[in-house]
Amino acid sequence: MLIPLIIDDIVSAVSEFAGDVVSLDPVLLQLTIFALLLGGVFALAALGLTMIFGVMDVVNFAHGMLIVAGMYTVYFVTTTVGINPLAALPIAVVALFALGVVISVTAIEPIIEAPEENQFIVTLGISFILLAAVQIFFTPDPRSIVMDLGRYQLFGAQIPKGQAYALAIAIVAMAALWVFLQRTELGTAIRATADNREGAWYVGIDVPNIDHITVGIGSALAGLAGAAIVIFSPFDPFIGESYLVKAFVIVVLGGLGSLPGAFVGGLIVGAIQVFGGFYLPGTTNEIVIFLLFVLLLYLKPTGLFGERRA
Amino acid sequence: MADSTSTETDVGGVLTRLDEHEYSAYIKAVLGFGLLAALPYLIEIEMAGLSLGSVLTLKILIVTLVFAFSSQAWNLISGFTGYFSFGHAAFFGIGAYATQKLAIDFGINPWFGMLVGGGVAVLLALLIGFLNFRYELKGHYFALATFAFAMLMGVVVRNTKELGGAIGYYRPFPRDYGAEYGLAAFQFQSDLPYYYVIFGFLVIVTAVAYALKESQLGLYLFAIRENEDAAASVGIPTFRYKMLAISLSAFFTAWAGAFWSMYFEIIRPETVFGLSKNVEVLLPAVVGGLGTIPGAIIGALFVFPLAEFFRANVDQIIGLDDVVYGVALVLIALVLPNGLISIRKRIREWRD
Repeated sequence: MLIPLIIDDIVSAVSEFAGDVVSLDPVLLQLTIFALLLGGVFALAALGLTMIFGVMDVVNFAHGMLIVAGMYTVYFVTTTVGINPLAALPIAVVALFALGVVISVTAIEPIIEAPEENQFIVTLGISFILLAAVQIFFTPDPRSIVMDLGRYQLFGAQIPKGQAYALAIAIVAMAALWVFLQRTELGTAIRATADNREGAWYVGIDVPNIDHITVGIGSALAGLAGAAIVIFSPFDPFIGESYLVKAFVIVVLGGLGSLPGAFVGGLIVGAIQVFGGFYLPGTTNEIVIFLLFVLLLYLKPTGLFGERRA
Repeated sequence: MADSTSTETDVGGVLTRLDEHEYSAYIKAVLGFGLLAALPYLIEIEMAGLSLGSVLTLKILIVTLVFAFSSQAWNLISGFTGYFSFGHAAFFGIGAYATQKLAIDFGINPWFGMLVGGGVAVLLALLIGFLNFRYELKGHYFALATFAFAMLMGVVVRNTKELGGAIGYYRPFPRDYGAEYGLAAFQFQSDLPYYYVIFGFLVIVTAVAYALKESQLGLYLFAIRENEDAAASVGIPTFRYKMLAISLSAFFTAWAGAFWSMYFEIIRPETVFGLSKNVEVLLPAVVGGLGTIPGAIIGALFVFPLAEFFRANVDQIIGLDDVVYGVALVLIALVLPNGLISIRKRIREWRD
């Protein structure tokens, strides 16, 4: 009863979409722009999760709350010091890097050899503690420091500047991470650890140290994602859950541990959310996202980018 | 002489002597369940002007037992075979929605609805189990796949108008949909009967878990947990047993959802299928001791009353109950990886 209904929705949505494509409806350009803007930020939000998995084989359930911690760091700095949210970005990155290192040293490293479920439980526990901390310091009320930056015009389509800045931040961060991993000695050591932990030990890499740095960078990326999101979107302490779930979907789509995978996965999820949200009724687009997630887990658990390296 | 009598009469000594008894497990079960059965009355007793009731209410006890029950059910697959499910909210939610929908829109008795919900949950479990075991998902991937199914169920329900959509599904007073109060209708006007219903559920699932663990089948399940390849190589049909364990687990988890829908007035997709429900289901067994029979009950009695105590009594600071969940999880994983149940052994190790 339900499944034919959903198929019906999808068929009519696809035909409507095809109609718009044939008639070159300007709405397509607008939707594509929104999809790119959202997808880029989603990719950034998922990047740290996939990096930690790639290097350490740990699924970090605290990732969503780390994004929220980034949001509140910017909020705190902006409201107390009174500077522009954009200027608070580097502070969020540094603060979250430090938080990540603390988490790694105190909680993740002691159980890195333990069964997966213990890693699960520890990162889940950290996520609860962070949620509590944010609620205690900032109350559970929603907050907003959205900047009114206006919009660009492009062939009749609108580009909100806030989201455009967020996308630019995401692209710069991804490019910088790529260069860091490919061109620096530390980056090479991280890639070596991701490839072969034992081998890395043998050639003299301080693997625990690499782990701490990896969790630090992963957390800093989460913090940066949070900082980019607050430019254009209000937030509350509980928003982390939805970003965590999205990040899971994105990294599974792209391949757990794959950085280019996170980028492509982010664009896919952004596109489904924007196009699906426009053509499909209600929040049916989420059903499509999760169906894709489940299908891919079975058919190609290594994701679209079937490699497992950071 | 005086020394030996004092060590023999302290609690640890009694427990040690009990452990050696032939019927130790049964005696402990009777004592433990007897205590649980008396708990609603015990919280009302005042001692020196204080009572447990000032920190514990019957409502908290009911929620505690719901999660002790569902965690015991979760244990049947995840504790016994080591396949860590992070998606039992899918079964919980099915139980809740099936019972509620059948009772309110079709006038079907909730007890029957609960069994229908259990049946549907088993079908989903067979599907999830078939896919997960057929494609050999393990560890992170097994957890993520079960999680994905719970999320999928949640978004499907949220998009289904017949099930109340995102607003949720409201259960009016029984007389408004033609039902009576009483055990047969699964509807009570006070909390106490609800407590004994969920207590009864807990006794049933605990007995099933115990029987399973003591059986040949249980031995096979634990063999799968320790070393699946070795178990398969000596001819244990691991696929079939894993399917059985996940079905049984799903069947009982749906009961917890059914109870939830009959106890609370409203069920919402995000509350019965959400991430936090997945956590609440597995938390007691993990905190108490994975794969152990008393673990889920001890873990639930530890986590939920403590969290509720913080929520209720330190109300100027919102979020302290989450600290309890979080600290409990981190400490258990770091300090007591075998759960609270291993604390006696750990203390004994420290003393020696």
